[in-house]
Amino acid sequence: MENFINSSLIKELFSQSNDVLVRPIKINQNNIIIHMFCVDGLINQALLDEALLRSLKIDPYLAECRTERELMDYLLGGGAYHVFTKEEKDYNLLLKYVLSGMVAFLFDAEQKAIVYDIRMFEKRSVSEPQEEGVVKGAKDSFIEVMRMNTALIRRRIRSEYLVAENLSAGRISKTDMALLYISNIADINTVNRIRDTINKIDIDSISTPAFIEEYLIENKNSIFPQIMYTQRPDRVAANLSDGRIALVVDGLPFVYLLPCQLPMLLQSPEDYANHYLLGSSLRIIRYLAMIVTIFLPAFYIAATTYQNQMLPVQLALSVQAAKQNVPFSSASEIIGLLIAFEVLIEAGLRLPKAIGTALSILGGIVVGQSAVAANLVSPAVVVIIALSGIAGFVMPNQDLSNGIRLIRFLMAILAAFSGFFGLAIGLILIITHLCSLDNYGVAYLSPFVDVEGRNQKDTLFRFPIRFFLRRPEDIAKKNKKKQKEQEKSV
Amino acid sequence: MNKIFLLLFPLLLCGCSHDMNRREIDEINIVLVLGIDYTEDEYTLSALYKTGGGADPEQGGSADQEEIAEGSGKTPYAALEDLKLKNKKTITLAQTGSFLIGDSAAKNGIDTCLDFLSRDETIKMESLIFVTKSIDAKTFIKKGMEAKQKIHEDLEAIKQKQNEMFTRLDNTLVNLLNEMKQTSSSILIPYLISDESSFLIEGYTVLDQMKLKDYLDKETSTGVDFIRNIIRRHPIFLEEGVGLELSYTSTDLKTHLNDKEVTVIINHDFETMIKEVTTEEDIFTRKGLDKLTQAQNEYIVKLLKKATDYSVNSGSDILQIARLVEYNHVREWKDMEKDWVEIIPDIEYQYVLNSKIDKSFILGNVR
Repeated sequence: MENFINSSLIKELFSQSNDVLVRPIKINQNNIIIHMFCVDGLINQALLDEALLRSLKIDPYLAECRTERELMDYLLGGGAYHVFTKEEKDYNLLLKYVLSGMVAFLFDAEQKAIVYDIRMFEKRSVSEPQEEGVVKGAKDSFIEVMRMNTALIRRRIRSEYLVAENLSAGRISKTDMALLYISNIADINTVNRIRDTINKIDIDSISTPAFIEEYLIENKNSIFPQIMYTQRPDRVAANLSDGRIALVVDGLPFVYLLPCQLPMLLQSPEDYANHYLLGSSLRIIRYLAMIVTIFLPAFYIAATTYQNQMLPVQLALSVQAAKQNVPFSSASEIIGLLIAFEVLIEAGLRLPKAIGTALSILGGIVVGQSAVAANLVSPAVVVIIALSGIAGFVMPNQDLSNGIRLIRFLMAILAAFSGFFGLAIGLILIITHLCSLDNYGVAYLSPFVDVEGRNQKDTLFRFPIRFFLRRPEDIAKKNKKKQKEQEKSV
Repeated sequence: MNKIFLLLFPLLLCGCSHDMNRREIDEINIVLVLGIDYTEDEYTLSALYKTGGGADPEQGGSADQEEIAEGSGKTPYAALEDLKLKNKKTITLAQTGSFLIGDSAAKNGIDTCLDFLSRDETIKMESLIFVTKSIDAKTFIKKGMEAKQKIHEDLEAIKQKQNEMFTRLDNTLVNLLNEMKQTSSSILIPYLISDESSFLIEGYTVLDQMKLKDYLDKETSTGVDFIRNIIRRHPIFLEEGVGLELSYTSTDLKTHLNDKEVTVIINHDFETMIKEVTTEEDIFTRKGLDKLTQAQNEYIVKLLKKATDYSVNSGSDILQIARLVEYNHVREWKDMEKDWVEIIPDIEYQYVLNSKIDKSFILGNVR
């Protein structure tokens, strides 16, 4: 049997929940009693008193309302004024609204309610992004409140074509989401696919980011991030104007961007804040750092265990001399230290900041130096792991950085088994896997794999802005022109 | 299918690791210099390697010493296997930067010496080959060690000097293997001599049909370098009391054939800079500079003539004219190839020099 809106039913439903209020309010002498239905702690009580309850008590025109219907019409017509006011007859939607922080007045005779959005709950203020901080650029970042995040984006895109669709997922949590895109640029098929995917999510709650990410990514077994997240509203705005689609999830202090390609993950907002030559140099360093962090430990194992001719003679001699009294194989040293490095990172994350710093010093310097002095590891291996670790932290995207950490182990193991042949096999596997990845119809390595060589102006090199004439060909399916070509100066 | 692949993959890798000569770097002796000698129908290989006592981080380096190990056999490869057998640790030639061929081994033929090296896939093809003048490589190395020389470092220093003086190094293993394909020309390999506590390159060893024939003196070798167009810098000391240095040099050889008579025109352009003036005479006049230009031309011609005269008199194609004729006169070469040894003494050489003294004369005479 379908539920209908009734104060007694709702009272019974929440009889054991003390934070849910269902209170009767007598309106006038005509014995009209309505019920206020809200969750204590999620509403702005001052606004409730001032804008709603006060109106209901002192408004003389309410005396003229003889039926609930008349009363409803009066309130909806401005009797109790608020920006978001809605008549609701759907029982489930009513519950969703109230449980997300709105207040409802229940009209039992009409089996309807009027909903007012006077939500106010504890939230962080907009602060500097922790992961994507820039020296030159905007300092605001997303917070855990969806509507605030959409507002931050809308502040930067004042276009009537910016669409913010409300969605919801989670059987119990009923997490609010907003799908943002620019309707005259974004591919509507991709929008539909993402919307359908979200609508199909049938899970109790969206408690951690992985709950939504794993549904949205297409290749679930890939270690490479296929969905990009950012804390920066300016970055979301830039990607929206390129034709990408943003997903804002209530409760998450970042916004997802789709479709996502590998070159995106190696770009930083700083690239566009600096001169294009500096931006390009930084980007090249990031690509080099990615190669170093993946292959350096494996290269060391391969070169010291199988093909020592790959090392320059002086380096080979010094590595040989340094390793002379170490009882372990190069592979054991490298893999052991990589594990120790991961342990240090994990321990540092779990501990309070002050102890974390002490732990870094203890682990990195004291234990590292003692291990070398005790001939447990050779100094060269410590340098290799340190270089590889630091290079890994250069990655602008934490998901990519984490993925690379795992690949680093895989490459080291392959090198331990078959030297540079193993490394070559690993490289082939990585490239094949990357080439096979497809993200909402866009190749993961796009635009590197574009045979016509389009859109290469913002990949490895960051060309001057005047060269960005067109939006990414495989992302923006319409309205591809980004800026007017500048006339050449005489 | 994927699961089968995932199961087979580790097995494949394990198989690879068994067949890939897995050796930790501290379990091998990295041979830095290899000497090849031939005595009494037997080849001897002398491998010089460093023995590190382990790095001491406090000291910032390793207290390593150079040691020499020997192996002998009927062939160089047999000698190498004997060397590996006798040595405590595994030997690798993958890092060997210099190969020294003893006088006797060079006389017996360098093709035998280099063949086993060319078939080792780990050998660095840019390793340098030297001949030890009138001495066995083993004795040459041992004498150096007795004189407390760091053999490997001294040979590296020689490589540095070669890089400073020449635009390319022709005595790399890969170059020599290429040159060995053209049997009509002589092969030139630099020879080493011992100076009190260092090694020096004095000139080239001439090898005809892969066998050592002669050692060229310093001036003839320099003439060869000029004609081969590999000189980067060279000092010129004139009797006029002026020292110059080449700032630019280019040699172009042209061949003309008249029946089987070969004429080679050596076009040599060069520029020099005055580096030293020890005369009271003012050389910075137009006339003085012309006189110096004439003198430096004569100096270079003298060097070139030394090289060409040696070739004509000895009948050895040390200037690799055969290769030039083969390239420029393909049809005629087919007829000439078999008679090339007789043709060499009849080759006529002409010299066209164009030089100038550059820039530094603006400083004038400081005396």
